[in-house]
Amino acid sequence: MGDLQAITKAVGELDEPKLLELLNEFIASSPGKKDAQEVVAACQKGMALVGDLFESGEYFIGDLIFAGEVLTAAIDTIKPVLGDDETVKIGSMVVATVEGDLHDIGKNIFKSMAEAAGFRVYDLGIDVPPSAFVEKVKEVKPQIVGMSGVLTLAIDSMKNTVEALREAGLRDSVKIIIGGNPVTEGVCKQVGADTYTTNAAEGVKICQGWVK
Amino acid sequence: MSDTLQLTQERNQLFYDVIEGKIPKRVPIAVTVPTEFAIQYAGEDLTETQWNNVKLEEIFDKICQDFVTDTIPVKALRFPSWYKILGSKNWVMSSGGFLQHPEVEGMAIEEYDDFIANPYNCILEKILPRLYVNLDKDATTKAMTLAKAFKAFFDEVGHARMVSAKLIQKYGYATVNLTAGFCEAPFDFVADQLRGFKGISTDVRRVPDKVEAASEAALPLMLKAGIPPVPSKYGSTFIPLHMAPYLRTKDFEKLYWPTFKKLVEGLAEAGMPSFLFAEQDWMRYLDHLEELPENTRIMFEYGDPKLAKEKIGKKHIILGFYPISLIKTGTKQQCLDKAKELIDILAPGGKYIFSFDKSPVTVDSINVENYQAVLEYVALNANY
Repeated sequence: MGDLQAITKAVGELDEPKLLELLNEFIASSPGKKDAQEVVAACQKGMALVGDLFESGEYFIGDLIFAGEVLTAAIDTIKPVLGDDETVKIGSMVVATVEGDLHDIGKNIFKSMAEAAGFRVYDLGIDVPPSAFVEKVKEVKPQIVGMSGVLTLAIDSMKNTVEALREAGLRDSVKIIIGGNPVTEGVCKQVGADTYTTNAAEGVKICQGWVK
Repeated sequence: MSDTLQLTQERNQLFYDVIEGKIPKRVPIAVTVPTEFAIQYAGEDLTETQWNNVKLEEIFDKICQDFVTDTIPVKALRFPSWYKILGSKNWVMSSGGFLQHPEVEGMAIEEYDDFIANPYNCILEKILPRLYVNLDKDATTKAMTLAKAFKAFFDEVGHARMVSAKLIQKYGYATVNLTAGFCEAPFDFVADQLRGFKGISTDVRRVPDKVEAASEAALPLMLKAGIPPVPSKYGSTFIPLHMAPYLRTKDFEKLYWPTFKKLVEGLAEAGMPSFLFAEQDWMRYLDHLEELPENTRIMFEYGDPKLAKEKIGKKHIILGFYPISLIKTGTKQQCLDKAKELIDILAPGGKYIFSFDKSPVTVDSINVENYQAVLEYVALNANY
């Protein structure tokens, strides 16, 4: 189907008017649920292109944020056809900005890209204490925990969160990824996370690798 | 002449030389910790002490005793009192007691035209009541709230400045003030205070013409804010830059750069140099920065110090690049080696002031011993 490729391309190029035009044409053709699922998949493929363009230095953070908005607009457009039908998830993760830090731009970018890649994401919000991570991990048993922070004080909070997971006997049941301005290899070691990234697209790829 | 007065003169001379393009005796050091750090370092309760400034002098004095710098090593920027009185949404307290700027939307996308037509009125009538909920009240309550907030602001800031002035005298710090004024790049003002990070990122794609016009409308306000009553070529106006690294270069060139350049040029024409904090990585924009008026002070967070020195080091004054995260995670030797490495790259030819890539926000975000060791190392070894 030529349209699907065009949809993927429009998402990748972040050409919102073109994308919405294509989606409205699609809706007008009285499609079925299965067709709608294919369109969602085409959009997700487009998001992967966005990720690649970010990694190659053609797109920047602002473009990733816009991509999240474009994807939301696209899904909203096809929702009447899609219904509440749940697509199959490739895995689940609990994400949050750690205790003491109120910054969530990076976390939100990562979340929207992870969702586009097929993860179910439980977002606990900002300034989240270790105990809240522990409770959520107990409840939903995710494969992955993602911790985000911008301020240097986030480093100790990340460390405390890993500690709390360990004390609750949950550390070995999850992979832990940390992201945000202050994280480095040294920080990752100190925190006791499995990996780190300052690049949301790369982070999503790592997570995809973990659930394969 | 007293010893401390002589020290002040010697330290001022380091900065004067850097600013006048001469080789100073030693690389000057300009690093500061914020009030929150100082409170924790003194072993006081962070939440409580931010509300009670009685001990501020003692707390700041302890930093002065323990950290070697050429300018006063602690700086009071914000206190919670006036934000609380205003019901602030753009500066709020975290659970750890550290005031932060969360994502806010002070202006709806439909309001661009209002802002462009008359930015001052739009800020007063629409944006402030949204960012400060206690200003969204009847006229009398609003006036009272504003009066109380300003009283708190002037009391707190006045007290903190008085304390700083005393300590500058007591310890013989340089009187050169790198942050004698404050404003934002026009695009950043529209982003940070009006539309939010998410809002501006979508506006750049959906309504770029309005973003451009709004930045132009904000420029005169930023100029007015950034020029202090008595400009000085030894002082500077602090402009923390935000959004440029998150934009595509073509968007930066069209929407960010023109009004930002006009701002720095306008400040320079008024006799006030700019002190830019280049957040994140500005290496893509070094050629642009080179166009700014000579002796612009630029503190870099990330990037390639060699490239920066090579491209703008003869024209502008460089600060930063030292990764504060290393102070937290590195050994003492690794920290000293990094200082030496950066001094070797950035000091030759002058026009370099030592600083970290950012200030540590709280005591637990660094290893204090490493921090002290690096400052001592620079003070003893970065001689010309």
